[in-house]
Amino acid sequence: MSINYFEEEEFKTGFNGGTLKRIFALLKPHRMFAAAFLGMILMSSLVDAGFTYLSKLIIDEGIVAKNLDRLYELVTLYGGMIVVQAIFVFGFIYAVGILGEKVRYDLRKRMFNHLQDLSLSYYSRTPVGWIMARVTSDSDRVSDLVTWGLLDITWSTTNIIIALALMFWLDWQLALIVLISVPVLIVVAVEFRKRILEQYRNVRKINSKITGTYNENITGVRVVKALGREDANAEEFAVLTKDMYKAGYRAAWLSALFLPSVQLITAFAVGGIVYFTGIKAEIGGVSIGTLQAFLGYVTFMMWPIQDMARVFAEMQHAVASAERIFSLTDSVPEVANRPEAYDPGSMQGDIEFDHVTFYYEDNIPVIKDLSLHVKRGETIALVGPTGGGKSTLVNLVCRFYEPKEGQIRIGGVDYTKYSLHAIHSRIGIVLQTPHLFSGSIRDNIRYGRLNATDEEIEEAAKLAGAHDFILKQEKGYDSPVGEGGNNLSVGQKQLISLTRAILAKPEIFVMDEATSSVDTLTEALIQRGMESLQKGRTSFVIAHRLSTIRRADRILVIEDGQIAEMGTHSELLRLKGKYYHLYTRQFRHEMEVAFDPFLETVKAEN
Amino acid sequence: MSVSVSVLNYDLKNAVSKNRLVGLWRMMSGYRWHYLGATIALGISAFSQTATALLLNFFIDTYLTAGERPYPLYFVGLGFIGLALIQGMLSFTSGRLSAQTAEGSTRRLRNYLFDHIQHLPYSYHRKTQTGELIQRCTSDVDAVRRFFADQAIGVGRIVLLFVINFTAIALINLKLALLSIIAVPIIVITSAIFFRRVSKAYESFQEQDAILTTTLQENLTGVRVVKAFARQEHEINKFDRDNKEKYTRGRRLLLMHTFFWPISDIICGLQMIVGYIIGATMTINGTITLGNYVAYLGLITWIIWPMRNLGRLIVQGSTGMVSFNRVMDIIKEVREPLDEGDYLPKEDSVKGEVIFKDVSFKYEDGNEPVVKGINFTCLPGQSVSLLGSTGSGKTSLVNLLPRFFEYSGGLITLDGIDLKRYPRRFLRSQMGIVEQEPFLFSRTIRENITYGVGRDVPLEEVEAAARAAAIHDVISSFPQGYDTLVGEKGVTLSGGQKQRVAIARTLLKNPRILILDDSTSSVDTETEAEIREALQGLMKDRTTFIIAHRIQSVMDSDLILVLDKGLVVQCGRHEELVAQEGIYKQIFDIQTRIETELEKEIANVD
Repeated sequence: MSINYFEEEEFKTGFNGGTLKRIFALLKPHRMFAAAFLGMILMSSLVDAGFTYLSKLIIDEGIVAKNLDRLYELVTLYGGMIVVQAIFVFGFIYAVGILGEKVRYDLRKRMFNHLQDLSLSYYSRTPVGWIMARVTSDSDRVSDLVTWGLLDITWSTTNIIIALALMFWLDWQLALIVLISVPVLIVVAVEFRKRILEQYRNVRKINSKITGTYNENITGVRVVKALGREDANAEEFAVLTKDMYKAGYRAAWLSALFLPSVQLITAFAVGGIVYFTGIKAEIGGVSIGTLQAFLGYVTFMMWPIQDMARVFAEMQHAVASAERIFSLTDSVPEVANRPEAYDPGSMQGDIEFDHVTFYYEDNIPVIKDLSLHVKRGETIALVGPTGGGKSTLVNLVCRFYEPKEGQIRIGGVDYTKYSLHAIHSRIGIVLQTPHLFSGSIRDNIRYGRLNATDEEIEEAAKLAGAHDFILKQEKGYDSPVGEGGNNLSVGQKQLISLTRAILAKPEIFVMDEATSSVDTLTEALIQRGMESLQKGRTSFVIAHRLSTIRRADRILVIEDGQIAEMGTHSELLRLKGKYYHLYTRQFRHEMEVAFDPFLETVKAEN
Repeated sequence: MSVSVSVLNYDLKNAVSKNRLVGLWRMMSGYRWHYLGATIALGISAFSQTATALLLNFFIDTYLTAGERPYPLYFVGLGFIGLALIQGMLSFTSGRLSAQTAEGSTRRLRNYLFDHIQHLPYSYHRKTQTGELIQRCTSDVDAVRRFFADQAIGVGRIVLLFVINFTAIALINLKLALLSIIAVPIIVITSAIFFRRVSKAYESFQEQDAILTTTLQENLTGVRVVKAFARQEHEINKFDRDNKEKYTRGRRLLLMHTFFWPISDIICGLQMIVGYIIGATMTINGTITLGNYVAYLGLITWIIWPMRNLGRLIVQGSTGMVSFNRVMDIIKEVREPLDEGDYLPKEDSVKGEVIFKDVSFKYEDGNEPVVKGINFTCLPGQSVSLLGSTGSGKTSLVNLLPRFFEYSGGLITLDGIDLKRYPRRFLRSQMGIVEQEPFLFSRTIRENITYGVGRDVPLEEVEAAARAAAIHDVISSFPQGYDTLVGEKGVTLSGGQKQRVAIARTLLKNPRILILDDSTSSVDTETEAEIREALQGLMKDRTTFIIAHRIQSVMDSDLILVLDKGLVVQCGRHEELVAQEGIYKQIFDIQTRIETELEKEIANVD
């Protein structure tokens, strides 16, 4: 459902005055650069026109007049203009390039900073890939629009105007011939571009299908071989490549036809010019230099016109990109500081849920009218089926979400009165699948408290039981964890994320235990680390391990967004209800794993 | 434009050559005449362009300067249009033909690679990274396509333009021609150096881009950690650092451009001036006519400016050749012959008696055998279970049956005939593999079930298979039923559901020999019973090999092999093994022990 929504959005294009205004507002902080490049492209366009005019003078006043002095004068001027032009070209490439990089940088920064403020709810309904595309390709496209796009438009317009003006000035009758060909050229160019773009879009679409098919066939090669599907697959794939051939070929020959068509239209203009020059020559009206100048100006003008079609197509895309970027920067965080939010200096105190109801989507409550009083320092274990509401409950404690109805109080005060930073900076959290950032082990631990010393880090690691395995790594604390922590095992990642939480010295501790089994030794270390974290802290643990459950002061069985059973381990066992079933099943499972003779042999080998 | 089958079926293995250019030439096989035609058309097109300048020459000298009228004036005007028409038509023809070559060769290459990869032995796939392989098949193939479509023909175009226009100028005046091309080597060398350096700078820019993307992605996927530790500020700084570095590298890339273009402008411009002066002086002296001079102005443009592109094409062409090599590396690999083997029994005649005699196996790149000294006999319809830990060799052992790998010692027979005498295609058609978490393709459920059956299957039959696999009800509960898409763009099936789809798939295939993988079990209890039942139905009257990790899955087998480190440490039926001391009995005892422990635990509570 959400995927469709995001796909559809991709196709929303069109011009919108408000969006254009906002796009050009991006140039504001760098208006000097913008002015510089616009000025320079204008100048360079003028100089370009000057070259053609100089060629005319060289012919008329130098060669035809057989005036050597004038010839040298003109050529020297020409040489001087080449240098001047080079300076302008240098200037505008530099200015437009820097401007582009600056706008790109600004856009990325603006989006990233805004993303840090957005609530978890935004992330849960927006695919990461979508956000990434906004920050990467869309920001590129928008910055291209305000730099190269703007440059192209300025360059084209000035070229066309200057060429037309000069032609009318040189000979208005010949200029009229050229003018007639302009609309024809525009229509032809637009039609071609439209079709070529369509084919290229096709090519891209088929290309991603081809990549997908490769991917699937390679990852599933075992099944392909086992089922003897090779021939059928090759046939299916051949259909794709045939489509690709058709689209690619069509795009190529359309492009191949486009250029000659433009040239042909230009040729009609040239033919016309030559014909009328010939007629006029009888009356002695047109100089050879003028003829040469006209031929120059026609090309000078025709290229920008056919190029305009491309620029406008790109502009349309860029405006759509900008709309998506603005939709991101305009979204309002759902969980934000209230106007008078404050930091009470501590989050120690009882945590109370007062008739809390929460839903992600309207009318599908995930937590229903839940009330709970957790005493300071208490350890709460949350158990129950997946989708029962355990994670949501924990997210509410952390204030990643806020209750839709009811209240959560910390130390007797509605927690929405506190600032977000006050709460978050005092909560230590260990996730089910520990998230590590690429960098060294030390960097990752230090994430818990940025100003921690190396000694403090090691101390925390010793407390969490991570110290020994870290030292065994090749570079100890400075070993890189790899992208997403790939260099480490799941258990090791958990230990590091525990250490990180210990270092943060939180006042409230939240843990989502991993379901996957880790080896016995690491498991024992993790348990020890958790114990030292829970000591004296209010803790919420989504528990899967028996030892964790047994250690809790209170166990909550959460089902359908409500507390189904609550009590200590022995109380609940005696009840012989839901907890009893959960417990006995987990017991069998853990024992099976613990006494698995195969696992023993594997461990012995390591 | 139809492509003949023989051209499409050309064996690209022929294109394997030490010399890359020879290889590329062979890759064009079947399209060489197209490519030659493209080159000739390009030549004629360039020639008529030159003719346009010469016509102008004639027009000025005859009509304007001398005032003669050998032909009516509109002839000259039409001449320009006619030449443009020829030029346009031929440049279009050339574009079309080269597109046919490029797209056609690429289409064939894509088809070949796809088929080649699925025919490469499993040992190749085991050691090759999927991402790397896909990249070669997509971006490297595209680089080869660009080599044919743009670079090779582009170089040809520049060379032809040079030759023709140079000849034309030389015909006007040899001295003028020679003096006009002094700067050409300088331009080519400068641009080659520049583009090589730019491509390096671009790589470093792309590297930083990848780093920035990783930082962004880690931030987005780790949003809960960022919020939990209130590290927004830290993240903003980290991103800003990477963002700035990207800005810096982008600027460096830009600076190279800002220097190259103006400088090459100056070099080209100065060369033009030299030509102007010499040409103008010659005109004044009467060495050449005014018409010659104006024609020269047109001709020289087509020599000088395209040269700047020559460097770009050469550098890009060389990366295209690197890509070609990377593609050829895949093509060089030897395919697994599917139909090789001298013993081909009738389709339904296989009984399914499998005998292992002192079988051993080691990987090509390994020193130690993975399994050794395996001896057992399995009568038709019997089941053999392989019990052992990860890495004990049980998967390697069953991989020998469909000849995914070849055994290295001893003898395996099927119905008394050496397995190596059966063609792989036949052997695999007789075997069905059901994995614990089977690979499904992103197609509809129906297509997944009929995948590999090799005939059109009516829906009733598909439904019957799905019913037998206990998955029909699940499929019917989807809004689109059997036409529901599986995977990213469709529904996500659970492990158990996938397995039952695979069971249905195997039922339809109706193999004589069955391989079941049951080594990791994480399915919940309700579905486990259903799957077990479905499997029982599947195993009926089929020789079955079960890879297992737990005793429950092997108890009913006719023969149980307990594997440890590639050796069979125990073998026999369940009753026999329980009576012996050994690993099997240990595992079995644990089951009973768990129950007593659990009772004790619960009793303690009361």
